[in-house]
Amino acid sequence: MKRYRLAAIVFAFMVLAAACGGTESTETTAAGSEPTDTTATVDLNQGSDLTFHMVTHSDDGTFWSVVKKGMEDACTALGVNCVWSPSFNDPSKQVSDIEAAIAAGSDGIGVSLANPEAVVPAATDAVAAGIPVVTINSGVNDYQSIGAITHIGQTEIAAGNGAGLRFNDLGATKVLCAQQEQGNIGLEERCQGLEETFNGEVVTQFVGPDANPEEQINTILATLQADADINAVFGVGPIVAFRAVDACSQAGRDCFIGGVDNSEDVTAAIEGGDINFTIDQQQYLQGYVAIVTLYLNQVNLNTLGGGFPVLTGPGFVDADNVAGIKTLVEAGTR
Amino acid sequence: MTTETPAPPATASPPDDERLAYRGPIQRLFIRPEIGALVGAAVIWVFFWAVTDVFGTTAGVNNYLDVSATLGIMSIAVALLMIGGEFDLSSGAITGATGMLVVLIVKDVGEFGGAGFPLAIAIPLTLAFALMIGWANGTLVEKTALPSFIVTLATFFILRGAKLGFAKLFTDKVIVEGLDDAPDHGFWDTIFGSVWTRNDHVWDEFLGGRDRVYGVVLAVGAVLLVYGVLQLLYRQKAVRSPAGIAIAVGGIAAASAGLVGLTATDSVSANWLFGVVMAVGAIAAAIGVGLWRFERRTGALMSLEMSGATAKSVGLGIAAIVVGTVLGLVLDMDSQTEIGFLLTVQGLRAIAYTGLVVTGLIMLLGAARSAGESSPRTQLLITTITSIAIVVLAFVIQGQATSRKFRAEFFAVLLGLATLIFIAGLMRAMFEERRFADPVADRRGRLLALSGVALAFGALAIRLLWSTTFENETLPGQVRWRVSVLYFILFAIGASYVLLRTQFGSWTFAVGGNKNAARQVGVPAARTKTILFMIVSAAGWLVGMLIAFRLNSVQANVGDGNEFLYIIAAVVGGNLLTGGYGSAVGASIGAVIMAMSFQGIPFAGWNSDWRFLFVGAILLLAVLVNNYVRARAEAST
Repeated sequence: MKRYRLAAIVFAFMVLAAACGGTESTETTAAGSEPTDTTATVDLNQGSDLTFHMVTHSDDGTFWSVVKKGMEDACTALGVNCVWSPSFNDPSKQVSDIEAAIAAGSDGIGVSLANPEAVVPAATDAVAAGIPVVTINSGVNDYQSIGAITHIGQTEIAAGNGAGLRFNDLGATKVLCAQQEQGNIGLEERCQGLEETFNGEVVTQFVGPDANPEEQINTILATLQADADINAVFGVGPIVAFRAVDACSQAGRDCFIGGVDNSEDVTAAIEGGDINFTIDQQQYLQGYVAIVTLYLNQVNLNTLGGGFPVLTGPGFVDADNVAGIKTLVEAGTR
Repeated sequence: MTTETPAPPATASPPDDERLAYRGPIQRLFIRPEIGALVGAAVIWVFFWAVTDVFGTTAGVNNYLDVSATLGIMSIAVALLMIGGEFDLSSGAITGATGMLVVLIVKDVGEFGGAGFPLAIAIPLTLAFALMIGWANGTLVEKTALPSFIVTLATFFILRGAKLGFAKLFTDKVIVEGLDDAPDHGFWDTIFGSVWTRNDHVWDEFLGGRDRVYGVVLAVGAVLLVYGVLQLLYRQKAVRSPAGIAIAVGGIAAASAGLVGLTATDSVSANWLFGVVMAVGAIAAAIGVGLWRFERRTGALMSLEMSGATAKSVGLGIAAIVVGTVLGLVLDMDSQTEIGFLLTVQGLRAIAYTGLVVTGLIMLLGAARSAGESSPRTQLLITTITSIAIVVLAFVIQGQATSRKFRAEFFAVLLGLATLIFIAGLMRAMFEERRFADPVADRRGRLLALSGVALAFGALAIRLLWSTTFENETLPGQVRWRVSVLYFILFAIGASYVLLRTQFGSWTFAVGGNKNAARQVGVPAARTKTILFMIVSAAGWLVGMLIAFRLNSVQANVGDGNEFLYIIAAVVGGNLLTGGYGSAVGASIGAVIMAMSFQGIPFAGWNSDWRFLFVGAILLLAVLVNNYVRARAEAST
């Protein structure tokens, strides 16, 4: 069959290419398979008549499939109905899905606010209709104004804070915060968070885009060579963190290296001792805890968080837990 | 030149037709497309060499050459296409697409599974795919007569979408990994992924050590270069005077003795002695060669006279140098006190000092040049002043500087420069310049000069490729040369050859200059352009392989957006956006300029937020310098 597979790849690359068009949204955290645009009802009813809706900007990538898995596991455990409505970064679809959930008399809605301006009014309507709402993943700035119970996610500042504390423990004295994009607020906040908690000095540099491997490796290398005091690199994405390994070895420096998010390369490097840790958002919690929060609000009138957001991260993957996490990644819960 | 017309040799007569007017070697050099870029590259290099510690070292050179290698391979190909009058916006995406395709064909896992084929099949297949894309680009552009901008923009989007779509389809990730799973990975890795680790190649003993070999090769190269340029510049004697040979040989012997003495001794007074011996030897050697081979000037030209404009330039030049030097001495070179928008005392000093001194020197040299038209003796006087000014500057800088590179290296370079300028002035005053073509001397001169340059590059390569035990012990880290740099150099040479020496090269210039006219004189325009498109995508394939073998994995967005960097590098290298004019060497220098300006910023420890402002300024400057140099060169014919 190999012949056919080869033919399929080559032929597909040459001809079918046109059909795929230019998909522009690539989150490093949200790599995934071909989107299938469906609003799937997960029928896990075990007697309860409660139905919760998760209406997110999800794209069905590997990142969001873990959130979905968290939701499904919580619903199975609690014996409630759950509806997963991904909108593939389309705010208008997300708004109409929220409206549909309100019309269906939802017992609780989890919503992500990647596009707050478009989605906040719909979410406010849901609260006004007496439906409990939590925001997940993104929405830390708006969950209070909506009147949501809480926000379940990780802030980028908190991720950076966590990295700073880790580097303190490792004994780093000067960290290069290596960014793979310029002017990206999320990446800037990771570096700011690092500065807040790290005891030594932080040098924040744009080191070239992921799309230019030579430039990225050599810019990290140049920064290291120009400053002999730098003994740690915080790569604010999985690819840039992995490339820091190469740069440090060429600079002849024993760097502490931290990253954000997982990739095969990064887990292998953690196992091999080249990377010290990578920050994990633990997005499974965002699905699981959202359902539990909504459920407990319905049956027990609990409000989790006390008005503050509930942080699912930063969790860490390091040499101690990497082996276990690898199996969990394969199981789809990390 | 007004008093008498030199009797030209029988082989060439001074032409009357002004279109055939003789252009001197310097003039001919200055209308080359790449000369502006070369000047720009030198300026940027010196700048970063001065403000950083590592940029000028082997590690620094390795850093920006590594970045410029893949950029350069593509910008050369894009330059060829631009000379042919077209653009290829898919040139960035094709690098990632071929890189990903080769991994996908080799892989045997994933949702759909790769083909699991060996690289021996995957690599030619990928090349065929790349050539097909290029062929499709070219054919579409020709058949539809649409602008290549639009056609290749479509190709770019198609490739970009296909990369992401197929990466996710086959592996469920935006990155495809595992090239080294291929059974014949080892063999192909030596072709596309070889690394030369300089630290492992120690050269301590052989032929007296690396640095001695380097010095000798460099010195021989310099002698050949100077001798070749003299051949190009001056009029051959009908009857040679063997007495000159004796002086030349004596001079060379003295200069060599000086060089050996300099490298063998360390004391200041001995360095002095040998330095002076070397300079005097070099001057004597040049005069000796002149007496041996070249026609003397006649006495009537030896009066001192200076026009008002020339006198003004000399005065202003000297004033600028003096003011610059005084400012340099007065302002505190370590003061970080801010005196306005982003400018410290240290920064002001650097700008004022360098700016004024360089302006002054350029004015003096300009004055010498214009004085030389009427009075060689005045010109000699001005060049002597210039040389003295440079020597004084060298001592001022040495007295102030704290870092070794300024105290030793820069000092030596300045003294060498002063000697060279003095020799140039002296030769010009003593001997008759050649104002007509002399095929024998021209060919000999060109050959000698080129061999000299080649030897100089060889000397550099020796230093860049081999280390010494001392360097390994004192410098941290490793210098790893990737095979991509070799491909870059070979591709630059090959593309230059094709462009300048083959029929296809002439066709390329022709279709880019005026396609219809080219077609009417029998140039196969469509085929030429299609082949050019295919060269670009084949270069993209090479870069794709280099990236894939370097990283062992390829991300879906690799190369996207780089097409503009390639075009910018080509333009910085003197290629015209309108086609019909340009050079492959220029494009590669353009790529090095881009890489130096990107990599210089982290070496200097500057805030990377300003990076594109800086790159934009360099681009603008490069284009302006190109324009200016070319306009000057064309005006002076």
